[in-house]
This record gives sequence, C-alpha cells and structure tokens, in this order.
Amino acid sequence: MILQIAIGLPFTVATLLAATGRWLPRVAVDALATLTVSALAVLLGVVLAGGDTTVWLGGWGEGVGIPLVADEVSTGLALTVTVVALAALVVSWRYFAEVQAIFHTLVLLFTGAMCAFVLTGDLFDSFVFFELMSVVAYALTGYQSEEPDTVHGALNFGIVNSLGAYFTLMGIGLVYARTGQLGFVAIGRQLHGDHSTMVTVAFALICTGFLVKAAAVPFHFWLADAHAVAPTPVCMLFSGVMVELGVYAVARTYLTSFAGAVPAGAVRVSLITFGSAAALLGGVMCVLQRHIKRLLAYSTISHVGLLLVGVGLLHEDALAGAAWYLAGHAGVKAGLFVGAGALLNRFETVDEHDLHGRGRSMHVAGTIFLLGGMGLAGLPPSGTWAGKALIEESGGHWVLALGVTASALTAGAVLRVWLRVFRGAGPPRPGEAEPSQPDATRHKDAETEFKLSRLPWTMLAPGVLLVLAGLLLGLVPGGVIGRAVEPFTHLPGPAPAPWTVTGVASGALAVVLAFAVAVFGLRGHVPRAALLHRLHSGHVGDYVAWLAAGVTIFGLLLLT
Amino acid sequence: MSPRGRLIVLAFGGTGLAVLFILAALGLPGFGGTSHPYGQRTLPNAVARHTPNVISSINFDQRAFDTLGEELILMASALAAVVILRTVRAEQEDAAGEHSYGPAQVYDALRLTGYLLLPVTLMTGVYIVAHGYLSPGGGFQGGVILGSAIHLIYLSGDYPALARIRPIPVFEAGEALAAGAFVILALGFAGQVTAMNAVVGLEVGCAVVLTLAKFFEQALLVRKQT
Repeated sequence: MILQIAIGLPFTVATLLAATGRWLPRVAVDALATLTVSALAVLLGVVLAGGDTTVWLGGWGEGVGIPLVADEVSTGLALTVTVVALAALVVSWRYFAEVQAIFHTLVLLFTGAMCAFVLTGDLFDSFVFFELMSVVAYALTGYQSEEPDTVHGALNFGIVNSLGAYFTLMGIGLVYARTGQLGFVAIGRQLHGDHSTMVTVAFALICTGFLVKAAAVPFHFWLADAHAVAPTPVCMLFSGVMVELGVYAVARTYLTSFAGAVPAGAVRVSLITFGSAAALLGGVMCVLQRHIKRLLAYSTISHVGLLLVGVGLLHEDALAGAAWYLAGHAGVKAGLFVGAGALLNRFETVDEHDLHGRGRSMHVAGTIFLLGGMGLAGLPPSGTWAGKALIEESGGHWVLALGVTASALTAGAVLRVWLRVFRGAGPPRPGEAEPSQPDATRHKDAETEFKLSRLPWTMLAPGVLLVLAGLLLGLVPGGVIGRAVEPFTHLPGPAPAPWTVTGVASGALAVVLAFAVAVFGLRGHVPRAALLHRLHSGHVGDYVAWLAAGVTIFGLLLLT
Repeated sequence: MSPRGRLIVLAFGGTGLAVLFILAALGLPGFGGTSHPYGQRTLPNAVARHTPNVISSINFDQRAFDTLGEELILMASALAAVVILRTVRAEQEDAAGEHSYGPAQVYDALRLTGYLLLPVTLMTGVYIVAHGYLSPGGGFQGGVILGSAIHLIYLSGDYPALARIRPIPVFEAGEALAAGAFVILALGFAGQVTAMNAVVGLEVGCAVVLTLAKFFEQALLVRKQT
C-alpha cells in the first residue's frame, strides 16, 4: 500500500491546492506543497530501504493488471526527482507572484507524474504519465505568459514533444497488436526471439518519444527554447531530472522488453550515434552561448548525450555509471540554475556580457558557478566524475575522448561565466548580441514580484546543497550502485570501481581543459559559427523536419 | 534553415517514415483473425467480478491507473488554459457590458430552441453519466455533454447570462476535487464503477466549462492595453 500512497499523495494534494488555492494565504500554499514533497521523499526512502517490490494495482495480478515496479533504479530515480522538486519548491518560496497556487499545483502534478512514470511496470501507463508530465511541463514553461518569447518557447516544446509522443503511442500500438500485452515484462516474454522487422520498427517508434524528451540530436531543438523562457525553479526540474527520464525510459524499454528481439549490436550503434552527436553538438553550442540559461540548457543536451552513450554501451558497468552520472548531474545542474536565477533576480538579465563583473559581491552565487563548473567537468569525487569514469572504462578510448571533450566544453563555458560575471575577468563587451539570439540582451522582467533588497537564503541554500551533493556523490561505494542496476539488467551485479588511474586522470584532464576553454572564451576566441546558429532557428517547422529525419535515421541504423 | 533546406530534410524524413510504417503494417496480425489475447484474458476477469459492463471494468477497475493519468492530464490542461490565457500586464479585461455583449439580436426561434434544449441536454448528460456502468456512455461522454450544455445559453445570444451561471472559482474547485476523489478511488478502491463514473462526469464537465470560459474571455473581453 505504501507505493500507492506515494503515488497518490502528490496528486491528491495537487487537486486540493487547485481547489482551494484561490482562498489560501501564500504561506499555507508553500508549506503544504513543501511538506507533501518531503513526505513523498520519506515514503520513497522507506520503499528504497525495503528492497525490490512489485505491487499489482487493484489486486488484479498478472494478465490484466498494472504493476508498480519499485526496484532500486526506479525508486532511486523517483527519489532523485523528489529531492530536486523539494529544492525547486524551496527556491520558489520567495520567487514569484503566484496565480492562485497553480504553480504549486503544477509542480506537485509534475513530481507525481515523473514518479509514476519511473515506477510503472506497464508500457502504456508509461506513455500516459509521459503525457501528463509533458502537459504539465508545457504549462510550466509558458507560466510567465506575458512575454511573446515565453509563449513561443512553450509552443515549440509542446509541438515537438507531442509529435514524439504520437510516435511512441504508434509503437505501443504495434507491440500490442503483435503480443496482446502491455506490461514491460510480459512484452519481453512474448517478444523473446521475435526478430521481425515490425518489432524493430515498433522499438524505434516507441523510443522516438523518449529520445525527444532526452533531447538526443536531432530531436533536441525544443530544449534550449523551453529552458530559456521557463521560470528558474522549473528549469531545475527540467534539466535536473525530466530530460534524463527519457534516457531511463529507453534503457528500461530495451532491457526489459526488446532485449530478446532487437539485436544488441544495432541498438548499440544507434544509441551511441544519437548520444555522441548530442554530447558534441550540445558542448559546442554551449560554448557559443551568452544567454546563461540557454548555455546551461545546451550543457544539459551534452551531458544527457553522454548518459545515452552510457546506456547505449549496453554493459552493466556503463549502466551503473549512467545511474551514478544521472544523480550527480541532477544535483550540479539544478544547483547551477539556482545560481542563474539569482543573477536574473538581481540584474534582470542573464546575458553574460551585460553582467560583466557585476556579480563580484555575490559570493554564494559565484561559489555555485565555480563548484558547478567543477561538477560538470567531473572533478573527483563528484557523481558525474564517478559515472563518467565507469562509462569511459567500459567504452574504450573514443568514449574517453568524447567524455573529456564534452565535459571540458560545457564546464569551460560555465567557468567562463564565473570568471566574467563573478570575477570581472576579460574585456567588457556589452550589447552586441548575435543576430540569431535576439533575446540575449533584451531586458527581462525579474521573476520575483518586486526586487528583494537582498537575496533570501531560501533562494541560494538549495543551490549550494544540490551542487555539494553532486560533488560528493562519487564517494558512495561502487557496490551499492552496482547492485542497484542488477534487477534492471538481469546481469550479475558488477562492483564498479571508478577510483582507477585512468578514471582520476580523465577527471583531472577535463578540469584542466575546461579552464583552458574558459580562458580562451574570455580572450574572445569564440567562433561565430553562423551555420550552427542558423540550424537552431527557433522555427518549429525546422524542428519537425528534423524529428522526422531523426526517426528515419534511427530506423536505418536499426535495420541495416 | 532556408525553406528549401527544410523541405529537403522533411522529404527525407517523410519518405523514411512512410517506409517504416509500411514495414510495420506488414507485420500486423491479419484482419478478422481468431486470436484475441487481451480479450481472452480480460473477459473472464471482468465476468468473475460480476460486472455488467466490461468496458467499465477495464476503464475503472483493471486499468484504473491509466484513467487516473488521463483524468490528471485533463485537469492539468484546464489549469494550463487558466494560467496561460490569464489577463497579463499588457492587457486589460473589459466587463461584458462594455461590449454590449448583452442579449444579442438573434432570432426568437433560436433563443427559444436554446432555452428548451438546455434542460433536455443537461438531463441527457446526467443520464449518460449515471448509466455508464450499464450501457455505452459513462463519465467522459456524459461530462462533455454536461459541460457543453450550458453553452446553449451563449448560442441563444446571452453571454452575460452564461457568465453568471458559471462562476469560475466554483468550477475550478469542482474540477479539482473531482480529480482528487478519482485519484483516491483509483488507487484505493478501484472497481467502484458508479462512483468513479460520477466523479469523472463532474471533472470532465467542469473542465470543459473552465477551458471554454477562458477562451471566451480571451476572444471576447481581453484586449491589448491602450
């Protein structure tokens, strides 16, 4: 019953808030939402401590019922979601003017949807909660609807993600027609040994929606548009956990349902292709940005690309690495967005050049950017470092090169922001936005109702704690992570050890290179890259064309 | 990207998608076959619990969790309409009277038809909700009928009257509380088909009214600040 309570709690309180929020004082709304998410964290912690459990809803059992599967990976992921949601709620305490508690309602629905999405053992249900997650995310992106940019970003997000979801639904339809089953495990049993083309196409279609969510290249275009306009606490949830859930869903769908049907070699090639394209393109685009939220958004694309490579290697050590990486990245990235939100609140802009040297007195936010940059680079003993070391170890030399490059580029961009904004380094270059980034220098309204005389601790402490957690997560014993992925992969538990010479050396190398990228960037050695900017045009027609092309490429990679 | 470049990428993608769909369709089971794995599992289960309507048993019992997700999607969409279509700083909302959206010049026959159909439509909605566990119909369908019924008043030409009989806070609260009740029923007491149909009907009806209300406001009353 505890799992049902955990799923039902955020949803029920969300409906209560939606019904009564109009009449409740803001303090009560904040308290109720925060307490609910804290209680959810406790419940999930109890489930995690209790070990693997499967609950059949309504007592129907195998055949027609829907299971909730709480293994260590899914529960751990749900717990990560909850922790980031808690931080986002605390940040939003003093954050912005509220419309009838709808923000809190949506955050609770979002949290519940993400938890239900990872915990359900039913493929169709994962689609339903994928949709719930998406609808809430569109609303949260467009929350500050007074600016046209915001509506534009939310609309692009909505169109691209909904199209992806239709592909997923079509794929589910195909699998259902073939097997008459909807449970992950039941489908896996039926499909074992079925190597027909149709099953492979179904797999490609199902994963398309998940890869859109995971922002794999060329499905990634929506992400930066949405992140640039979404309120900061929402960006924490998007970049910290929502995007990563797409990778989780791909891993789960393949390993549980399609492993016996679609050849591992083809899956490996396609996931690694999409993942490394995202890791590299995201890294390069990240360095080219001056709008700090967009910069962080592209770094998410790059890191989630690495995560996808980790899954795509289809090796138990790499999977353990991916799990580790996900948790570490969630802390670091959500923390960095808190820092960006602090800048937006102070100066009503997130343009790196406009902010030159203006953050000197903001020691806490500066520390978040410095430590966050270290976390993205993968400084030992961060969770990102430990995860990346494992992925690199099982992937060989070229994955090592890819990992170091992606971390150095993204962390370099963040460190450049730290140096320029918080240390006043480099020559000032205000005002000249690239034509492709018209929103970069434009004045933004602060997200708070009125400018606070000084930043309250509730807007910074969650960021510091999240980044620190991300930086220390590598100290968790490898065996714990290894055992966690065991029921997920059905392979004997690995005992991954990231503390190897190569692992530590690659972490250190990425940190050094990141500083190099930062210093080069300060000196103005940032290429114009007009072609890349034109590609990311903000035109939703382009995005849809690339989405269709991406599905075709996926199909070609899987079938040839 | 240039329109030409976009077209090339789209043509590549579209062709690929077409080929993938054809390949997939070739693997589908033949039309009118005798193998119905899901039906064979679900029917005995539904009958074993003495359900009069297998569809309701699937919707509200065996797969109640799906319906829970769908209910919440509906609620979230209505909330999204409220939040995105709200009057923002650069806009102002007029009172309905300012636009003489009073009783409009419509034919008496149309007005009379609207008023006559209103109680009948409402009754039909309630009937569809209430008999959902026995006959085709149920909360979703009945809720849509209930929600649209009161807009007959608008079609009869009286927007202010419509605005009076649908106070937004009440419908917001009704929608949300019904969704909350459904969450509790679906997770704790799945199979209470009548009660679940009723709350679904309430939620869908309120959500339809709420969403349409927001669009009406946006189209009729909200304009750029002058």
